[in-house]
Amino acid sequence: MRPELPTPAGPEGNGDYIRVEGLRVSYDGTTLALADLDLVASRGDFVAVLGPSGCGKSTLLHAMSGVLQPQAGEIEIGGHAVQGSMGSDAPLIGYVFQDHRLLPWRTVAQNISIVLHAAGVPRAEIESRIDRYLKMLQIDRLRDAWPMRLSGGQRQRVSIARALALQPAVVLMDEPFSTLDEVTARLMRQQLAELWRESSQTIVFVTHSIREALFLANRVYVLTKGPARVMEVVDIPIERPRRYEDPRLTDLEGQIVDRVMSVWGYGEPESEPTHKERQ
Amino acid sequence: MTERPEGSIADLRKAVTDRWLDFFLGLAGLGSLVLVWWVGSRTTTFVPSIAEVVSSIPEFVREEEIWPDVLATVRRVFGALAIAMVTGFGAAYVMSRGGLWGQVVDRYVSLMLGIPSTIAALLALFIFKRSEVGVYFVVAIITFPFVALTLLQGLRAADRRLDEMSDVYRFPMTAHVRHVAGPHLVPYTFAALRNEYAHAWKVVVLAELFAVNTGMGARFARAFDRFLLVDAMLWLLVFMVILLGTEYLLILPVERRVLRWRGSGQVSA
Repeated sequence: MRPELPTPAGPEGNGDYIRVEGLRVSYDGTTLALADLDLVASRGDFVAVLGPSGCGKSTLLHAMSGVLQPQAGEIEIGGHAVQGSMGSDAPLIGYVFQDHRLLPWRTVAQNISIVLHAAGVPRAEIESRIDRYLKMLQIDRLRDAWPMRLSGGQRQRVSIARALALQPAVVLMDEPFSTLDEVTARLMRQQLAELWRESSQTIVFVTHSIREALFLANRVYVLTKGPARVMEVVDIPIERPRRYEDPRLTDLEGQIVDRVMSVWGYGEPESEPTHKERQ
Repeated sequence: MTERPEGSIADLRKAVTDRWLDFFLGLAGLGSLVLVWWVGSRTTTFVPSIAEVVSSIPEFVREEEIWPDVLATVRRVFGALAIAMVTGFGAAYVMSRGGLWGQVVDRYVSLMLGIPSTIAALLALFIFKRSEVGVYFVVAIITFPFVALTLLQGLRAADRRLDEMSDVYRFPMTAHVRHVAGPHLVPYTFAALRNEYAHAWKVVVLAELFAVNTGMGARFARAFDRFLLVDAMLWLLVFMVILLGTEYLLILPVERRVLRWRGSGQVSA
């Protein structure tokens, strides 16, 4: 018999830096991708959003980045409503995609400088930031390389450097390691955990890997199968630095697998009470 | 954390081997052309011998009056090609947007694709009489539909994921065009340019036969009229040298430089 999952105090905690409330998104007007989804994160938090493939996790990040207009609900980051143009004083958002999305015709350094330039970073500061973040991700030798000449892991590290060099208040990460081999993915998870501990950035990390979510995050939002709604919110009370093979993670993983099995695999998502309903 | 470099020595060796193979195949192709010429000169009365033509080259290139004609043709090719590229891009853009105008332009492009160069040259003669504009008109009207179709492919193959990235990072329109949409179209532009450059040379000579008294086409016609077969052969050689020379010494190196990001092989971190 496994112990109960640790549950958080509730979404109305103090100092919420990211607040997503009643988010409802539909691509064609009839089929819902996200159904009344709530999520909160405090400043400097590492939140993972866990759900099965195709449940609408990426849609959530799209909406949070402001490129997708929700049908209903509110998203606030740092007190600013996220909707199209957020104004010049709005917090910057970094985004790491599942695939690297580097411009193949620009070098590694150029890929970063274009984003910094578009965000209005002063020209004099751009070069030093590129050097700093490439060094931080141990890819400073690749500064002038073309993306097509890099391995998958190297490209994804450039993509992370691009997002972090922006020095954003929030970094949205959409299954960034899912296309990498397991060894590279583990190294990169370790590196990301270290980078996050050194910075004050708030990270929202989307994944379908339970172990990855538990290893990286402070809090995990478990979603139902599409249309996605929050099924469970789990706090991870394990000190850092964490080990990927930590038996406590294995135990938590087992508990989550037990919970999601029917909802992700065989059950009807509508029949499962949501986190809100349970409260 | 490092990842292993992959096949850098093997890649280099393969590249060197491929280059030599290309060189020898090119040389063999050229040799076969010379052979065909030699056989033609031995078996017919209208193909001058290689020796006769080669011995006339020094005198031919010293003639001052050939260069204005060469320059006139070069100017027409580049001018008309520039018009075709701009018109082709405009047409491709309208077609990619669809709607009524997209349909209309699509029909025009399809119609133009079917017009033979000779008919276009005769039409130009009727419309513009024997004027310079006629030559530009013929070359542009024959080449622009091919440019439009190639660029349309490029516009349709735009990488939506990169558009999304530029949206997420809030690229201004100018940055999007400069760093995302523009560079994506560059390979397609070069493909259109290379194909239509050779096409434009062939069409311009034909147009010059009908529409004007200057240029290499007009000089061809004059040589044939007077049955000066060596002169006709010399003009043919000039034509080929300029066409292939500009393609291999100008267009291809520029293309290689601009598209150098497509190189193969990985680097180590």
